[in-house]
Amino acid sequence: MGIRRAAAVVGIGQTDWLGDYEKTKKGERPADSYGYGARAFVNALRDAGIDRSEIDGLIVGPTTAYERMGEILGLETRWGGQADAVQAMMQAVMAIETGMAKVVALVYGNNQRSGGTQYGGPDASGAASFLSYVYHAPWGLTSQGALYAMMLRAYMHERGFTERDMGQVAVAQRGWSSMNPDAVMQERVSIDDYLASRYVCEPLHLLDYCLINDGGVALIVAEASIAKRMSSHPVFIEALGRSDLNKGATILEPRLTNFYLPAQQQCAEQVFNAAGIGPQDIDVAQIYDSFSVHVPLALEGYGYCAVGEVAKFMAEQGIGPGGKLPVNTSGGHLSDSYMQGWNHQIESVKQIRGTAGKRQVENCRFVHYSSDVAGKCSSIIYGR
Amino acid sequence: MSTPSQTALPAMPKRVMGLYDKPFWDHIQQRKLSLQCCGKCNTFQYPPGPICSACTSEDLNWVELSGKATIISWVVFQRTYLPAYPAPYNVITVKLDEGPIFVSNLEGPTPEGSWIGARVSLVYAEMAEGQLLPRFKLA
Repeated sequence: MGIRRAAAVVGIGQTDWLGDYEKTKKGERPADSYGYGARAFVNALRDAGIDRSEIDGLIVGPTTAYERMGEILGLETRWGGQADAVQAMMQAVMAIETGMAKVVALVYGNNQRSGGTQYGGPDASGAASFLSYVYHAPWGLTSQGALYAMMLRAYMHERGFTERDMGQVAVAQRGWSSMNPDAVMQERVSIDDYLASRYVCEPLHLLDYCLINDGGVALIVAEASIAKRMSSHPVFIEALGRSDLNKGATILEPRLTNFYLPAQQQCAEQVFNAAGIGPQDIDVAQIYDSFSVHVPLALEGYGYCAVGEVAKFMAEQGIGPGGKLPVNTSGGHLSDSYMQGWNHQIESVKQIRGTAGKRQVENCRFVHYSSDVAGKCSSIIYGR
Repeated sequence: MSTPSQTALPAMPKRVMGLYDKPFWDHIQQRKLSLQCCGKCNTFQYPPGPICSACTSEDLNWVELSGKATIISWVVFQRTYLPAYPAPYNVITVKLDEGPIFVSNLEGPTPEGSWIGARVSLVYAEMAEGQLLPRFKLA
């Protein structure tokens, strides 16, 4: 695998999502998507301690245009585009490896709360790419949460998984976010709080859903030798992996019949082989969690536990503070911030740098990020 | 399930109506559940498309189905997203006897305990402006 340690993160930045959450609740509009991205970019630039002129590549998140963001940030780039969090990092590494760019800014901004983005209903976001989000509207199935609720119900039936088992994710992640001063939700919850919380789309409870909040995230990724010169603490991209399930996606076939397992297993083989390590070597797992159900699927899919054993693994080994496998240490999308996978990237960097404050996992060497958005099972392993 | 007015039928939520979707809905208006079936490999497919996704053949024919199916998962919405669907309401996924998975609603009595594995059969619900919607009831 040519990309191994080809590039490293030299700078990270974020916006004040807790402060902005309070403001947006009062009806204020602190920024638009470009504004949040720009703020995060300025913070990442400061963190990297480099000049803007050193950046020659730019990838923006799905909510902004590459061209306009490049204009706003004042970047004359040689290469760039638009991608979600995990594909942005993959594309940056590939661009660096092929010589298309040397230092790439990854910039995400989203005003989804103040701008009233719809993730359910007739104008559901993402419908152009994911037909399943709107195709079943005549029967009232139009929220993304409902697709995961449908998946969870089949999974519960197949594996004997219970709502109480599912609740372990929300409880663990709130345990982490209670130690994250930036997190939008910092109050701990118990399993009883979880079970008592209302259903949105049964069997998913409110606490299984991600937040909807405004914010931005930026990372600066540099070619390895440049990264070593730029930074005293570069965080390397050790390996990448991806495997997609497209067949039957609109009728939810991969969700309902195999729970993304074959793609996650293939991706696991690719990413762990490329990094030369296995799941037992991972110190922190960051799992894309628009809904809590992503977490047990990834833990089984990537071999952190045997298939069918995840409820036991979460209960006995633990994924929260003090657990054997810390998962989503910032609180993730459920409790920290719904930055669509981007906040997981900067949390990975913080854990490896050793700058995660009270929630720092001791001697964190490797972090594994996984996302399975609509069957695109993707992974990044970060290391020192 | 309560409705604001007993007389007005709910408006059909916006349908995806691409070139290949129209024959599906035209058949539904004739009270026929038909899907594309490949003339070369005999695979049924849903949603309809330009080629058979199983073998890439363009030899696709609309064939009427039995309307018999088995529930493979279900949810109950406790939040309203669409005027036609005031919460609470159910959505089911069924495996049609001919192969494809189909998303719909279960009308009438619901099973005790788990719904998964329950056998269902096709019914037609009438929506506003005489539009028909394929749903299922326990067989």
